[in-house]
Amino acid sequence: MELNDLKTGWQNAGVALKNESDILKMTKIRHHPSLKRIRKKLLIETLLLIFVLVVYYDWFDGNKKPLYANLLMVTALLLYIANDIIGYISLVRPVRGINLKLSIEKYLGNIRRLRVFSLSVSFLYSIAFIIFFTSVIDFTREKRFLLLGMIVILFQVMLWSARVWNKRIKELKQQAKDLVFDGDKA
Amino acid sequence: MKSINEQQKIIYKVCRIYRDSREDQEDLFQEIVYQLWKSYPSFKGDSKISSWMYRIALNTAMAAYRKRRAPIDYVEEFPEPIHPYTESTVPENQERLFSIFRHLNDSEKALVSLYLEDFSYLEIAEITGISESNVGVRLNRIKNKLKELIN
Repeated sequence: MELNDLKTGWQNAGVALKNESDILKMTKIRHHPSLKRIRKKLLIETLLLIFVLVVYYDWFDGNKKPLYANLLMVTALLLYIANDIIGYISLVRPVRGINLKLSIEKYLGNIRRLRVFSLSVSFLYSIAFIIFFTSVIDFTREKRFLLLGMIVILFQVMLWSARVWNKRIKELKQQAKDLVFDGDKA
Repeated sequence: MKSINEQQKIIYKVCRIYRDSREDQEDLFQEIVYQLWKSYPSFKGDSKISSWMYRIALNTAMAAYRKRRAPIDYVEEFPEPIHPYTESTVPENQERLFSIFRHLNDSEKALVSLYLEDFSYLEIAEITGISESNVGVRLNRIKNKLKELIN
């Protein structure tokens, strides 16, 4: 097989297996392989968070907790909802540049910002919960150990989450790097 | 919708070179169609529909998240085709064609697919964002790599 054969092979390759109605279905999120699942998860998570926001004050004695703990709790919940929505919007539209190089670079920038925002919000969210529920507790030795255990688990989860983000960013960075040729560097 | 339907071979080929399993190719096909649909309002018609489709399809293939699967070990040598290249043996030769591309990285796949589709260097430069002169240099390197892979 020669390069010319490759060219002929490439131009002849491909099958038109889908009809117009199949293609039309693919333009809907409810038929999308991953977005429909992510959207469902986001919707359930957002509804649950709104529910917690509405009931936490009565159910978990918000009136007996200090103001700062309540404020922290509300802020963290609202930021978590915002994080979900921003993340979803970013996933839905990865193609934003006028060419491949710009598009990958823009997407990489978005994902980097999203990593910082998402990790910060997750951290704040967890800390807000811990502070809210421990703000009026009289700490004993056992309770202190329990709190320490919770903080250790929180850091483990944050570390794992950061690794997942970093792996994704590393892949995109490599792609952006592959598209930058020595002479094209800004 | 009509344009996507008419040019679906482009999507098929991009899916074949960027994803290994049939399931992943099918998922990517849907993702590309979805992105084309969403991006169509921004298509101004100042370039060919095929070059716009290639840009969106290649971009989606490169940026879309890939599911983690067991790694596939590619062999260094390709089996000789059982039959010489004729119209009747296109699928067999196509398999070999796509297996060659799996040895290239994502940006090389993008460049070579545009070259094989007969886009000019200027068009390839516009789609990829690499300068026209460097498209030539990079394509020469890729062609040499392909020759080594074929032989």
